[in-house]
Amino acid sequence: MNLFALSPMQESAGQIALAAVLAIVGFAFLLPQPKGRKVAVGIAALIASAAVFGAWLYSTYGRPMPDILGTVLFCLFSAGALGFGTVLVVQANPGRGAIAFAFVILSTCGLFLLLAAPFLMAATIIIYAGAIIVTFLFVLMLSYAGGPSAENNRSREPLLGALAGFAFTGLVLFSLYLSQGGANAAETPQTAQRLPAQVLTLEERNTLLAAVEKLDAVEEHLGAGTTPPAQRRNVVEYFEGIRDQIGTVVGSNTLSRDGSISVRLEQLPMLPGEKVTPLRNDKQARAVLRQAADIRKQNEKAFDAVVNNVFDGKPSREITKSELRNLRDDVVVLAGAGGLPARNVGNLGYLLYADHLLAVELAGTLLLVATIGAIAITQRKGAVA
Amino acid sequence: VITLWHYLAVAAALFGIGLVGFLTRRNMIIMFLCAEMMFQGVAINFVAFARYHGNLQGQVFVLFIIAVAACEAGVALALFLMMYRRGKSLDASDWQSLREMGVPPTVDTVPLPVEPVTEDEHLAPAGVRPKHVPTEEEAARV
Repeated sequence: MNLFALSPMQESAGQIALAAVLAIVGFAFLLPQPKGRKVAVGIAALIASAAVFGAWLYSTYGRPMPDILGTVLFCLFSAGALGFGTVLVVQANPGRGAIAFAFVILSTCGLFLLLAAPFLMAATIIIYAGAIIVTFLFVLMLSYAGGPSAENNRSREPLLGALAGFAFTGLVLFSLYLSQGGANAAETPQTAQRLPAQVLTLEERNTLLAAVEKLDAVEEHLGAGTTPPAQRRNVVEYFEGIRDQIGTVVGSNTLSRDGSISVRLEQLPMLPGEKVTPLRNDKQARAVLRQAADIRKQNEKAFDAVVNNVFDGKPSREITKSELRNLRDDVVVLAGAGGLPARNVGNLGYLLYADHLLAVELAGTLLLVATIGAIAITQRKGAVA
Repeated sequence: VITLWHYLAVAAALFGIGLVGFLTRRNMIIMFLCAEMMFQGVAINFVAFARYHGNLQGQVFVLFIIAVAACEAGVALALFLMMYRRGKSLDASDWQSLREMGVPPTVDTVPLPVEPVTEDEHLAPAGVRPKHVPTEEEAARV
């Protein structure tokens, strides 16, 4: 019997525990203490801890790496955030600590950018690195005493503090491992855990937007009054072109699934009667497939309305145009699906004022109260204004 | 491919480092910065989940975190200034008289290292300007 035959869960728990213990040792040696600290031992322990942590991350979650650039940037920014965070904690000089904190902010902003949040990146840099750090540097300079002092060169229980912090982190990481089904990673396909890629390709989006442009020019082709017989053919052909253009993306008619979205996102049945299974089961993909199905129906409906209107005048011009407008709006929404980085600021503003208006007002009130509080606290009793 | 879980793990580690700093350091400003670092860990979680679900709700949450952090910074700064005026120090342990009943006070036993006092560098005292004899070249130029 092999005593070292560990299950993946035990192996993972062991790696996390090792990383945590090494980090505890490193911090216990590096935190400022009046009797001096062992810098070399501490740094070696921290580097070993980071290596174990990275190895655990790599072996558990990230085996295939086709996206070299994204991976390199992620590693760079996360190493920067964790490294400068460590410097902030162990640096005895608070001024240097504040600068290290600014670098932590810059690194997390890089991560925000990788996560398609450009507005948050800008806001965080401006508010943290710009405003907060500068005001705190002012206070640091006001209070600088020079020479070793109790607040900078002593730590409160370095070993126990590090133990508490990293025991907590280790437990969080381990529950992360359990929750994502790392324990049963064999069953869940790796694709299900990836951050979703764009649901629409660039060509699909361009095709849809071109169709929208043509739909915007409806007035020229379906003006007021009835269409003269000589032009009927041209008008119907124009709308047929639009229908086919949209059809290449969402599917040509209500029943068939030959659109490029279906081809990419759905597993078509081998035998008639089998169910269609989506290849990607995330929320975005499901929403896009639903939207595509709706547009397929609306596409048919609008084209039928156009043909009947042109030849019989049966559904009135107004109804036909409103069908075409509905189709246009649906196509615009589909063209913007999954476009998280695009119009980030506009969409954030819309969401803030549409869904979270009360919270925005409360945040504003909070800022006002904080301003008043800060002034009230710092006021000297009996000082003459 | 970088997955959601990579971001969650890095955010947890950032939170943990901030927690250690908050528990062990005694300078109130450093404690505050460590708390802000814990906020950053949480913010990364929110933004990663926003990306994962393909909506912006998480980013809205982070905006509110930033707003609250700004308020907190203002009030904390005012408090630190007042505490510095009273105690002439930013040491959080100076305020341990506020501790829970029945908890013994922490006493620092190891003395702080004494930095040797060095004399400031002096410039040479000012005096009469030394007499300058122009060289041949200088004389030729003038």
